[in-house]
Amino acid sequence: MNVLITVTCVSLSFSWASAEFDLAQIRLIVYQDCEKRGRQVLFDSKAIHKLDTSEPVTCKNPIVTVSFILKTADETKTPPNRSGACHIGSQAGDKDKPPSYQYTRPASDVNMIGEMMFGSVSMSYKGSTLKIHHIRSPPQLMVSKVFSTRFGSSTSGSTNTYTFHEDPKESYQRCNDSVFPAHSNPVDMPSRGHSEDGDSGIARSASLSSLLATPLPSPGSSFSSGLSSSYQRRWLRSQATSLQHGPMPRWNTEEMFNLSDESCNSNPAMIQRKKIAISIIISLPEREEENHNFQEFFFSHFPLFESHMNKLKTAIERAMIVCRRIAESSQRVQVYLCRVMEALGEFRMTVWNLYMAPRISEPVWLSMISQSTERNLLCQRFLKEMSLLMEHGAKSQFLAALLTAVLTHHLAWVSTVMPSSLPPIKSACQKPASQTVDLLAKSHPYNPLWAQLGDLYGALGSPVRVCRTVVVGRKRELVQRVLYVLSYFIRCSDLQEHVQPQGQMDNPASPCTSQTTDPTPEKTCPPKPDPLKPTACVIGTSEKALNSDLGNAIPGTSVEQNHEILLTDTNSTSPSPSSESTAVRPEFTEMGQECFGEDSDSVGGGLEHILANQSPLLHRVQFHIGSPSETANDGQAGGLTGAGCGRGLDRKLHQRLLSDIRRKESSDSALGDSDDEETSPRELYGATEQNEYELPLPSCQVESRASVNHFGHSLLGGYCPQYMPDFALHGISSDLRLKQCLMADLEHTVLHPALDEPVAEALCIVADTDRLSVQVVTSQRRVCEGGRLGRDVMVSNLVHTLITSVLQLFALNIASDFCVMHLEDRLQEVYFKSRSLAEYLRGQTRVHVKELGLALGIESSDIPLLAAVASTHSPYVAQILL
Amino acid sequence: MNALVALCHFCELHGPRTLFCTEALHPPSPSPPQPGSAIPGDRDREADREGEGLTMRANSSATQRADMCEGCRSLPASHPGFVSVDSETGIRYLSHQHPRQPQLFSVVRQACVRSLSCEVCPGREGPIFFGDEQHGFVFSHTFFIKDSLARGFQRWYSIVVVAMDRIYLINSWPFLLRHLRQTIQSLQDTALKVFDNEQCVCPQRAVRMNSAFSPAVFPHQRSGNAARSLTSLTQHPNLWASLHSSFSWLLKACGSRLTEKLLEGAPTEDTLVLIERQTEQEEEMSGWEGAEGGGSNPQPSQSESVHSKDFQFDDGRQEDLLGPKFKSLRHLRQVLGANDFRQLTWHVLMGNQVIWRGADPGLIQSAFNVLKALLPVGCVRAVSYSPHYEEAYRCNFLGLSPDVPIPAHVSSSEFSMLVDVHNVERGCVNPVSDDDILSLYQFNISSANTQPTDKGPTLLNKIEVALSNGNLSVEVVSLCLLCLKEEWMNKVKVLFKFSKVDGRGKEDTQKVLALLGATGPGEEDNVRLLKFWMTGLSKLYKSHLMTSTSNTGSSAS
Repeated sequence: MNVLITVTCVSLSFSWASAEFDLAQIRLIVYQDCEKRGRQVLFDSKAIHKLDTSEPVTCKNPIVTVSFILKTADETKTPPNRSGACHIGSQAGDKDKPPSYQYTRPASDVNMIGEMMFGSVSMSYKGSTLKIHHIRSPPQLMVSKVFSTRFGSSTSGSTNTYTFHEDPKESYQRCNDSVFPAHSNPVDMPSRGHSEDGDSGIARSASLSSLLATPLPSPGSSFSSGLSSSYQRRWLRSQATSLQHGPMPRWNTEEMFNLSDESCNSNPAMIQRKKIAISIIISLPEREEENHNFQEFFFSHFPLFESHMNKLKTAIERAMIVCRRIAESSQRVQVYLCRVMEALGEFRMTVWNLYMAPRISEPVWLSMISQSTERNLLCQRFLKEMSLLMEHGAKSQFLAALLTAVLTHHLAWVSTVMPSSLPPIKSACQKPASQTVDLLAKSHPYNPLWAQLGDLYGALGSPVRVCRTVVVGRKRELVQRVLYVLSYFIRCSDLQEHVQPQGQMDNPASPCTSQTTDPTPEKTCPPKPDPLKPTACVIGTSEKALNSDLGNAIPGTSVEQNHEILLTDTNSTSPSPSSESTAVRPEFTEMGQECFGEDSDSVGGGLEHILANQSPLLHRVQFHIGSPSETANDGQAGGLTGAGCGRGLDRKLHQRLLSDIRRKESSDSALGDSDDEETSPRELYGATEQNEYELPLPSCQVESRASVNHFGHSLLGGYCPQYMPDFALHGISSDLRLKQCLMADLEHTVLHPALDEPVAEALCIVADTDRLSVQVVTSQRRVCEGGRLGRDVMVSNLVHTLITSVLQLFALNIASDFCVMHLEDRLQEVYFKSRSLAEYLRGQTRVHVKELGLALGIESSDIPLLAAVASTHSPYVAQILL
Repeated sequence: MNALVALCHFCELHGPRTLFCTEALHPPSPSPPQPGSAIPGDRDREADREGEGLTMRANSSATQRADMCEGCRSLPASHPGFVSVDSETGIRYLSHQHPRQPQLFSVVRQACVRSLSCEVCPGREGPIFFGDEQHGFVFSHTFFIKDSLARGFQRWYSIVVVAMDRIYLINSWPFLLRHLRQTIQSLQDTALKVFDNEQCVCPQRAVRMNSAFSPAVFPHQRSGNAARSLTSLTQHPNLWASLHSSFSWLLKACGSRLTEKLLEGAPTEDTLVLIERQTEQEEEMSGWEGAEGGGSNPQPSQSESVHSKDFQFDDGRQEDLLGPKFKSLRHLRQVLGANDFRQLTWHVLMGNQVIWRGADPGLIQSAFNVLKALLPVGCVRAVSYSPHYEEAYRCNFLGLSPDVPIPAHVSSSEFSMLVDVHNVERGCVNPVSDDDILSLYQFNISSANTQPTDKGPTLLNKIEVALSNGNLSVEVVSLCLLCLKEEWMNKVKVLFKFSKVDGRGKEDTQKVLALLGATGPGEEDNVRLLKFWMTGLSKLYKSHLMTSTSNTGSSAS
């Protein structure tokens, strides 16, 4: 009875889901927590019944099924109370009319869900809170966002419009009684919470965005600079999300639930504390493997889910505001339900599409960099497809226009052609993996998935723009060919996953392995133990446990080896001759054991004793902690001279970031007065300046495999049945829905970017293979002449000659991998040209296009492309050209 | 991973407490903010003052210590904590009862309180994610540990992972859940054994049933029992050291769970040639040292990066020599005049031998340094100042002292050109400004070449346009030159592949030249340039093309 949509895999595409994904698996709950009234459910898709008078028996809507099941399930437990279902809406069978809904009995789990959404103790924090719960049975994932509300234009109790209470009778009354005055005491309270949080939020985000525009070392100083904007983005991300700077609220801190109606006048009135929470509950597939796959997909793609949840939230806000204007109560509820159900329908559809839509099974770029053995075949196929495409749109320069747009906006290719300064490791002509980025990832971990998402959306320029490409066309084969070719130019990094092999015995995650594997001593129970003290037999084995434990800490090394490690470390840091340290050895071993067996009872307070009376011997044998300079640096609080900070640029950025933080903090402290709490962390901080005991870092075997759930696979879509708002690239047969949604999607992207960083502009390249047109749609231009979506793309001469010569070489039967190498060389030329443009623009107020053409060989048609490329390495370019 | 892990406990007497916390310190660590300045946790107080909800503030350590029982404590107060160093990355993992970084103290406290007394997890044991921008984001897993003496025979704990990057933390959910479950399972199993053990010795249920309930004794008894530490519950004497290892490993493994392969562009030919030359030199050097029998040869450090700067000044000693110098191509052009400059650069680009003869080695070398920029590194063979003539195959740039004779076969050859630098006789010895080269020297250019130098190559025509445009800075001109060189190097590569590797016929070659844009006016010069530049390709590149053709050839046939 449920609406199940199965996916048929076409040859060129694939999908994650091995089985059906039911739309009804997604449930929406809106709850409010009011200081006075307590908690109320404002919406629960599980307790809403769609009335469809035209087809009363075979109802296609999945929700009906769910509520039906729910009812029968409830009937077994409690006597049915059907009176609780309140029937609203007209009986009209007209299909054009919006559907009618009715409330059914509230779901049995709704109280528990409320507890989970708000927590058992309410929080005073005014920003939005994000929560994820895992419900074991039935297996479900629940994502909640809790917002403070911002009111206006109505009574504080106005949200009762949407309430249905746990008590069905009351709910019935509420739905029917007109408890809402048409217009009464409007409440407005946007300023208070806003200004408080806003102060820090805005200032900090400003300092961050200024950081994002940090220029690289002067262009032209070194062409082989390894520091690309890709590197810089990653470095800044690791800093912006670093724990070491403490909580640093970023750009959209004060996100609230907005219930103020701009169309009505509002009077300031009493402030009411009210929170509204939105939860999406996704039922997990029952089969273990499907469950696992969905969860992996869900968590790796969370930013996309969240972005759609934000869209849903906005729709709910609007529904609440709009329905308040309606005087008649039953109609008001109906409008509210309709609007929310519609938004939920959208959400379900988007999520379904995201999970189920076909993908390009072999994106050219990613395949090429991951499998070097089939490189020749891949190159051959790629060039063949590109040649066919070139022939197809020869007259209109379709391919050249499309590639101009793609290279201008999906900018991740730039860092893949920036010349490396390092000697090649493998073959001379293969691109090397960036070692600077690799090093960065190890020492300052950032989220590779986030980096990949930014790459795909081309968010590497300045200001940050994000772009998607949609290929429209009725001819499936042609669209798929375009997608295939573009999957070479829309680039991102490849992700590898490193996991622990299944069934590994010595897993470092388990702290008690030695005892669980060797349980014999505990089994023998001593005759008369003191319940408060460790049993005698355990004390007897403690030393053995210690030894096996230490050995366990680093698999494959014994205790002796352990001490060796520590001793060599000591040698390297202290100037004492080696003869001394060997002399020291027995004591050292003893002390090591004592300190590891930290239980002061069993070793007679040995450790504290040792530390209190530090012998000269102990002074010599210090435990090694990091480098001496680092320790010193930790001690001096204000020092900016970061130890081990080798690179000049690194330090510069550090200082900038730090001084930004400082500035912010000093302004913070001016607001808040001092408090005794401050002393506590400082005291603790001071107390721990002594040297810690060094333990070896456990390691364990990892298996490396290509990551499946990454954006490089998921956001390069195939020929999809419907327009998708998330994909970096995909094809559709008709632009009908695209036209409906695109502008709103682009605006949403700017407001709630999945990228989790501020975005200046959202763009979409729309390539129409039927009309052979390429347009760019932007979030910044609302109206376009002639009712068209966007602007036509001007073909860059550089791109045109680039494609032409590559394809001509291919036509002359030159080896395809050489042609691809040549293509890369030509792209590198574009990069070099952007460097000269950037240098030309430095200090220039006006751009002489003619001069550019004569002197630099840059034609006016190339300027948009080159300026975009230049903005990735020279952020000032954007300012000059604006 | 940019996160910390903490073990928290809901103490029956004292409520939620942080027991043990492992943080990661990253290498070029900016020092922690000055304790005197406000710590970001300040905003918590603001929230407290409003008096709603639960008090989140961290208790001052003094009160907390007084309030601590064995159950709230992990390491004794005097214990310095643990550290593990990841030698590869320099990240240090530190464990203490509380986070050592002051700004994280309240963050962890908040996470602890929320995980154990605010957030609701169905079944009380399990994972939750929660958080906000102000307090950070938390992945929490709550669990029970068996205790024969506790109320309900169990105690409640949680492990929290705190990070500022919520997306990263959420992405890591499956990984963290999998491994924290193992950690928790291991703790629970161990405690269960202790529990069973204790129960078999002294069944508490019976004790409690039999002991008469006396209100006077009860609270005392309870508080005594509340003091059991996790070490005692697991009978694991090295519990904290082991937990430190587990948590450190978790942070490391979570941070390196996903790695990126991000490609850069292939190095330019200039870079490759420079690297090749450097290795050759180093091999030569080590060869010399080996011959001398010095057993200890300090490994010449492989320079990590070669900057384009290096090849422009690779003879390096320019600064040491006093006197006037050429500063740029534009400067050289100004001094020589457009015609002579054109001739000179034409010869340079065609690969002819360019001989400068004069008394000032500094000036000559500066001229070579400027001119070298016109060519790929691989095409430059310079002898900057020599007392005798060197053959053309040895060098295309040759500096000679004024009295060195030029052999007849050279001076009559169209493949060479000579620049004679004459000192201008001056009466006074007044120091003249270095810039004013013309007031000091006179330049005579001669060549047996009869071919016109004003048609091509295209590259030269374009460079001259840039040089003659005074609006363009020297930097722009040099970037422009670099673009042109790279552009023509790419043509060279194609021609090399086509004619040398594949051995195609003349007709096809002509097609390729046309598609490369080398035909038209100045075609002859363009082709000469391409052929000369081919000699400058790196060995690596050439050998790669040679080997890869044999592969593709076999696969294609």
